[in-house]
Parts: sequence; structure tokens; C-alpha cells
Amino acid sequence: MNESRGRLADYITMVVVFLMGTGAVMVFSAGANLSYEFELQHFYDFPALRQVFFFPLAVVVLLAASCIDYRFLRLREVWWRSPLAWALLVSIALLIAVLLPGVGTQINQARRWLRISVAQVSISFQPSELAKWTIVFFLAAVGAKCGEGMRSYWRRFLPLWALIAVVCGLIVREDFGTAAFIALVSFVMLVVAGVKWWHVLTLLPPGVAGFIAALFQASHRLGRLTAFLQPEKYSDTIMYQANQSLIAIGSGGLWGKGLGQGICKYGHLPEDTTDFVFAIVGEELGLAGTTGVLLLFILFVSLGLAVAWRCRDRFGRLLATGIVLTIGLQAALNIGVVTVVLPTKGIPLPFISAGGTSTLLSAAAVGVLLNVAAHSDRGSEEATSYPQDS
Amino acid sequence: MSQPMTAREATSRPADRRERVTIVVFASLVILAFLGLGWRCYYLQYAAADHYAGLGLGQQFCSYLPLEPQRGPILDSRGRVLAASNQIRTVFAEPRSLADVKETSSELAPVLDMGPHEICKAILDSGNLGYAPIKIGATAAESDAARMIHGIGVQYAWQRYYPTGPLASHVVGFTSTDNQGLGGIEHQFDRELRGKGAEHTFFVDVHRRPLAFCVANASGDTGMPTNGVGIILTLDATIQQFAREALLEQFKAFEAEGAVGLVADPRTGAILAMVSLPDFDPADARHTDPNRFYNRALTDQYEPGSIIKPITAAIALDGGAITRDQTIFCENGRYRGKYQGKSFGTIHEFREGFGDLTIRDILAKSSNIGMAKIGQFAGPELLYQGLTLFGFGKKVGIELPGEAQGRVRTPDEWNAYSVTRVPFGQEVSVTALQLLRAFCMLANGGRLTRPYLIKAIVAPDGSIVNVRPPALRVGYAIKPEIANWIIREAMTAVVNEGTGRRAQLEKWQVFGKTGTAQLARPEGGGYEDHAYVVSFVGGAPADDPRIIVLVSIRKPNYAVLRGLTGGGAVAAPVARVIIEKTLTYLEATENLRGPIEPPRSASERGLMASGPR
Repeated sequence: MNESRGRLADYITMVVVFLMGTGAVMVFSAGANLSYEFELQHFYDFPALRQVFFFPLAVVVLLAASCIDYRFLRLREVWWRSPLAWALLVSIALLIAVLLPGVGTQINQARRWLRISVAQVSISFQPSELAKWTIVFFLAAVGAKCGEGMRSYWRRFLPLWALIAVVCGLIVREDFGTAAFIALVSFVMLVVAGVKWWHVLTLLPPGVAGFIAALFQASHRLGRLTAFLQPEKYSDTIMYQANQSLIAIGSGGLWGKGLGQGICKYGHLPEDTTDFVFAIVGEELGLAGTTGVLLLFILFVSLGLAVAWRCRDRFGRLLATGIVLTIGLQAALNIGVVTVVLPTKGIPLPFISAGGTSTLLSAAAVGVLLNVAAHSDRGSEEATSYPQDS
Repeated sequence: MSQPMTAREATSRPADRRERVTIVVFASLVILAFLGLGWRCYYLQYAAADHYAGLGLGQQFCSYLPLEPQRGPILDSRGRVLAASNQIRTVFAEPRSLADVKETSSELAPVLDMGPHEICKAILDSGNLGYAPIKIGATAAESDAARMIHGIGVQYAWQRYYPTGPLASHVVGFTSTDNQGLGGIEHQFDRELRGKGAEHTFFVDVHRRPLAFCVANASGDTGMPTNGVGIILTLDATIQQFAREALLEQFKAFEAEGAVGLVADPRTGAILAMVSLPDFDPADARHTDPNRFYNRALTDQYEPGSIIKPITAAIALDGGAITRDQTIFCENGRYRGKYQGKSFGTIHEFREGFGDLTIRDILAKSSNIGMAKIGQFAGPELLYQGLTLFGFGKKVGIELPGEAQGRVRTPDEWNAYSVTRVPFGQEVSVTALQLLRAFCMLANGGRLTRPYLIKAIVAPDGSIVNVRPPALRVGYAIKPEIANWIIREAMTAVVNEGTGRRAQLEKWQVFGKTGTAQLARPEGGGYEDHAYVVSFVGGAPADDPRIIVLVSIRKPNYAVLRGLTGGGAVAAPVARVIIEKTLTYLEATENLRGPIEPPRSASERGLMASGPR
């Protein structure tokens, strides 16, 4: 038994490292672009090279995180002794900071990044990514701590949703996709943690109202949605990106054009290294590559599910579920966007898309998952020693 | 899940179990979503792959301007250029790839020595986003410098030149502005002359900058054009010049509708000159009356008249219907009678009537009644077979487009009129080229001969890819002694003492035959008034004919003719000039060789005989 669980963690490590390696290669391929003139001093400005650098770093982060006992993250009786509470506070503070002019950095007309300059190297950090993970972890911790108490509408459900609403509200102006995704993941986490169905239903009216408000707040969001419903009409304007994505994937055919042989990356397909890197996988590696990536994600979700199923500790189980479903859902949504099943939304593909914050935080989260997998066998007594209900 | 786990499951509390089920449901939903996306990828990359690949090529593939191969030259038998292509360079802009038209214009202005405004206007006025010509006919230095500027390219095109102008216009033909052969050899050998083009194709980035040169495209070509082959004609520009000069003078003097002059080597059938008037300048074909494009040597069909008499007489002699020393009574100019019980109406001589004439004199004096009687001796079958053997009623197979085939009716369609009219050239229709062929056979001792124009086809690297003597035909149309008798006795008599006296030359014994054919009415029966085709066919020297010359002038103006109605008066002098000049020229260049070494192999031996030596 012990040995089999250790093997489970190893399998997850293999799958994730393989995915991240694929990502590094594909981002490098997509980023190897003639239009830049390469200068070694500024290598960090090249997303492709940066990603090659992030890949080993992410592996280190993953292994380091797997060594930390996940129970360290659980909520203590005194809130200020709980690391997750602090993480949440820091996240919210950073989310506020990024909105302040002069602190946040604007890229592509969205203020989503904090840029810290160290000598010639400037590091960009995306607080919304951090907020996503802290919310997931926090909800898992709360669920584990409160147990059956989660069924209380006024004492648990509403305050939690208020917290989620604050976080999403801070993000939604600059990054609608991530905000909606955090709301979705929070909803999943709460349902798993055992809230009552009618509690969730009460959120529907304000949720829909908020969605529509966000939609009309920025005209491009509404435009994207209408364009999605009539794709041919907007193939050169709003749907340009989606159209290019389809061309990239479709032209790959069964076996692809060959690694590095793609044409779409030469300016035809915008965001080719980040949110739309899956299209480059489709173009260069063909159906073999896309189904390969999908199978790896299916494998990851299945292995994660096995971890959660076997974990008798409620916190560990909720944590594993949160991590697995967040990554799985995000991957499905990203691939849905890239294959134009869903309207265009800026969500990166976990492990594969370029982006340091996303890659390193995903790696850290998977590290926690590995730790849960390693611990889930150690004594059922320990599991019951944690309060399950109040 | 292993068995012991599920056993322990059963002991856990309902809330725990519900939680696990919820987790499984969500995870299953995510996995289902992945499977759905896999199906979507299968659709995009398998079922609809071609569609998207096509869309992708549309925007990513740029076939840069095609590289036109050089169109092959057309040369005369001595290597003189009749048609050739020169390169011209066109500097152009690709407007869609220009960020700032003004800036590019001012950058380009000093390079091309043009005003920036002029360039700017040229770019902006072009409706084509991919091609805006700026300077046509730029020098090599100009185009090399201009090419370095982003968005500017150089297109190489070929312009066809015809240095001899209208000299051999009907044989050489002409091309359209996009170098498509539209007439003559240019049309007939368009594919060979054209060569094989190539395209430079690239994948381009979103700014249409080329990424990679695609050599391996579907057609598998090398990306480099293959130039067209050169064609060497049997034509000799000098002889062509003699023929055209002499013919044009008479053509103008008699205000004729058309005229044909042909010179051939009877031993091989190689055509040394082919003139059809009116002609045109191939370089300016676009502004030419299309009626001038007809090569009358091949397309004009008419009843040949007396000029065919040596042929029909030869057929009758060969078939044994008459003998050389036979005398025929020519009815003193008016002949009425019946053939096999059926009347053939009245036959008149062209001018004065004759009494008893030998076969030789019937030809020399061109007696219609004598020929009508010969026709009765021979009968329809023999005449028909003979005419067919001499090639009438079927195409000569010359390497030019638009050849007419003429008509000889089959014997069962003949009546009493036919039997008496065909021998002096009525009720059959022929082309000048067919007549030339028949007289080539006669002058070649009766051997089957076929006129041809292509001496050789030469690959761009100079090697001969195809030597084209006509297929050597073994056989005789008539017995050699009869053919030689017709040429040496009857046809020299025509020139020495008969209707063709104006073709006489001191230095060589000329043989020949005149013809004055009435043109049939386009509608209804009978013949047009005062509409003639006057012709002369002849050659020299009679004992070993070197050349055959055929001159025919269609519809000379009757008012100008003033009684000079015969082929002897109008066409024979032209033929005389051509024969004299040509033979002098051929003798003078006796030992000169053409540009092609005489081939060695047996199959190519025909070529040696074909070139004028």
C-alpha cells in the first residue's frame, strides 16, 4: 500500500514534468521568432528563453513544495497563526497594489502585472494567479476546519462568498477571465465541501447580475461574445484570434508540420507563447500532439482523483481536489478557448503556457498535491484527529 | 481503487461518502470535457484539416512573381534570327507591404532617377495591392539597387523581337503581349518555345516578409525556369527576301487581293521561302487587320486552272492512257461532245484555237481542249488516283496552323463535265502548298515528297533535340522517266516557246507552267467575271532541278491588267526574278554550311540534303 501511494506521487511528478517540458519546448518553438534581434544581455526579455529558464526552476519548486507537510497549511484556532490567512491578506493587498497607477504594469491594455526591477532584469508578477491559489487553498482549509458547519448559510456560506466576491471584484476590472474562473473554482470547492444546494441557488441572481454588469462594463467583452456567436462575420476583427487559432490547429493535420516548422507563430497567431500555445502544439505536432497533451491532462486528473479518493484526511482530500480540479478546469477552459468551443478568454494553459507566475505557482500547488499523496496513507487515526464537525 | 480501500469506504460516514462522490462527479466532468476537446481536435485536425490548411496557405503562402523562361528563338536555316526574346526589367512595389508610401517613394526616387511624386502616384494609383509597376525597362544597376528597399521588387519579363519585320511574318507568326504564340511557328510550337516556368514561393509572416524559400512544391520543379527550345527553319532569309521583294512589287503593281510565293528544294521538300501577301509586322500584330494573318499559301483554296495540266498529263502518261508521241486534234478552239453518252457542254481555248498538237505542245500552248481529250482517254478512276497520289485533297502536313485540305471529288461523284474539266484544273480545289508539293514530286523524278519547314529543334544548351526531316517516304507517284520527260521536255517547252516565255533565263534552263484560273462564284455556279488567280510554277535547272518556285497572284485588278490576263504575263516574270536570284545565291554559297554540323546517323541523313549547300 505504502509503496503504491509513493508510486502515485511519482506518476503525478512524471506527468507534470512531462507537461512542463512539453510546454518549455513548445514555448521555445513558438517564441523562436525572426522578428526579434537577439541580444544576450536582454535574454530575459524573450519569453521563450525565460520559459526555458523557468522550467528547471519550476521542477525545483515542485520538489521543494512536496517536502513541506501540507498540514502546516491548515487553519489554526487563532487566525493570525494560520499561514493561509496571511497568504490571503497578502494576495488581497497585492491585488489592490496592482490596481494603483504607478505600481501595476500595463500589458495589452490590462493592468495585471507587478514589475520589480532588479538591475537589468525585471521580474513581472501576476497577483491574480496567487489569489486564485490562495482562495482554493483557503476554501479547502475552511471546509476541513468547519466540516458540517459548512451547511450554515449565515455563519459560513455568505461570509465566504463575500470574501470571494471581494477577490473577484478586485480582479474583474482588469482580468474578467481569471475572476470568472476563480468564482467557478470557488463554487466547485464549496459544493465539494458540502454546502447545501439551495444556498448556491441564492447566489444565482447576484451572480448573473454581476456577470452582465461586467459584460457591459467593457464593450470588448460584449463584442467578443456576439462575435463568438457569429464567427464568420468577424473573422478579420474580433474573431481574428480565434480564426488564426483554428487555422493553426487545423493546418497541423494528423502529424503536424514538425517541431519548429509552424508558420502561424510568425505573427499570424497573436499570444502564441502564452494563452494560445496549444494551437502551436496542434500546428507543429498535429493531432498526435494535441491528443497527447489531452491524455496527459486526463492522466493528471485521474491520478489526482485517486489521491483525493484515498486520502482519509479531510483537509488533504479537499486540498487535492482543489488543486486537481483547478488545473484540470483551467486546462479544459483554455483548450476550449483555443479550439473555439468557448469565447476567447485570457486563461493560460497550466504547465504549458509561458508565464513565470503561473508556472511556478502551479508547480508549487502540484508539490502540495504530491505531499498529500505521500501522507494520505500515514495512519487513519491522524486523519480522524482533525475536527470534522463542530 | 484497490479492494481493501473500498472495504474501508463502507465504514466511513455518509458525509464523507457524499464528498467522495461529489469529487468523482466533478473529476469525471473534467475528464469528459477533455474527451470532448479531443473530439474537437479530431474534427479540426482530421475531418476539417484540408479546409484549414487551405485557409492557412491563403494567408501564409505567397507565390512571388513567376519566373518566366526565355522563349526560344526562331532562326532561319543559316542561323539568322527571325524571332528572339530580350529581357526587360520592371521595378515594382508591393503596396500592401509598404508602411509609408511617401518614405519609400523618396528613398526610391534617386535610385530610379524619377520624381518621388511620380513614384508615389504610381503606387497609389495601382488598384492591385500586390503589384504596382513603377519603372518598366530599368537597367540592371537600377533594379539591383531598387530591390534592396523593403517592399520593392524587380520583375523580369521577356519581350519578343522580330528583327526581320514582316519578312517571314506568316511563317514565324507572332505573340501576344504575354508571350503566347498566336500565329505561325510561334503558335504551332508554342509549348516547346515557351519552356517551363517556375515560381518563387515563400511562406510569409504576418507582415508578408518571406520566411522560407519553398523549393519542393507540388509540381516538384527546381524553382528555376527552363528556357524554351530554339527552332531552326528550312527557310533561308535571303531567298525569302528575294521572293518577297519580287512578289510585293507585282502585288502592288496589279493591286491584287493576295499573292503567294513559294520556293522549295524539290529533292527534299524543304521550303526555302514562303511569302504570303498582304503580310504584317509581327511586332505590331495587335494593330493589324486580322485578315492579313491568313497564310494564303495554306488557307486559300481555289481551282488551280491550267497550272495543273503537267500533273494530269503525267498521270495519263503514267497510266498508259496516252503516249508521249501521240497527236491530239484540238478542234480549232471549240469543242462540243459527249463522254459515255453524256454531253459535257462546250469547251473553249483560253485564246486562239489549235489544230493537231502533240502532248508536249498541248502543255506548251496550254490547250484546254487537248487536256479535255486526255481526260477522256484517262477516265475518272485514273485521274482521281493520280491526283490523290500527288497529294491533292489532303493536307500537306506542314508545321503551321490552319492548313486547308482542298478537295478532289471521288470518281462516283464525277460526271461528263468533270472528266473533261479536271484535266485543266477545274472542279478540284487546291492550295498553293499542295501545288508546290505536286511539282516537287515531278521535279524529284516522281518520288513522293513532302514540303516541310522545321530543320531542327535546338535545346537551350545548344544540343539538337530533334532533327526533323520529313519521314522518308519510299515510293513514286509516277514513273521517273515520265516525270523527267514532263519537266525536261514539256515544261521547258512552256518556257522556251509557250506561254511561260517571260520566265526564261540565259544561264539556266528554266521549266515551268503558267496558269490563269477563274475564281468560282462564292454562291451559285459558274465563275466570277474578271476574277483570276494567275500563277506560274517552275524551277531550274531542268536537267537537275535545284529549286521549285511557285508564284500565284489572286485577283489582280482587271483594269490594271489591260489584257495581260495570263499567268505567263503576270506571274512568270516574278518567278524568273526569284529563280535567277536564288540560283545565283545558292551557287555563290555552294561551299558554305549552315550553322548545324551535318548529322552522321542514317536517320538524320535527310537533313544534309535539306540545307542549301
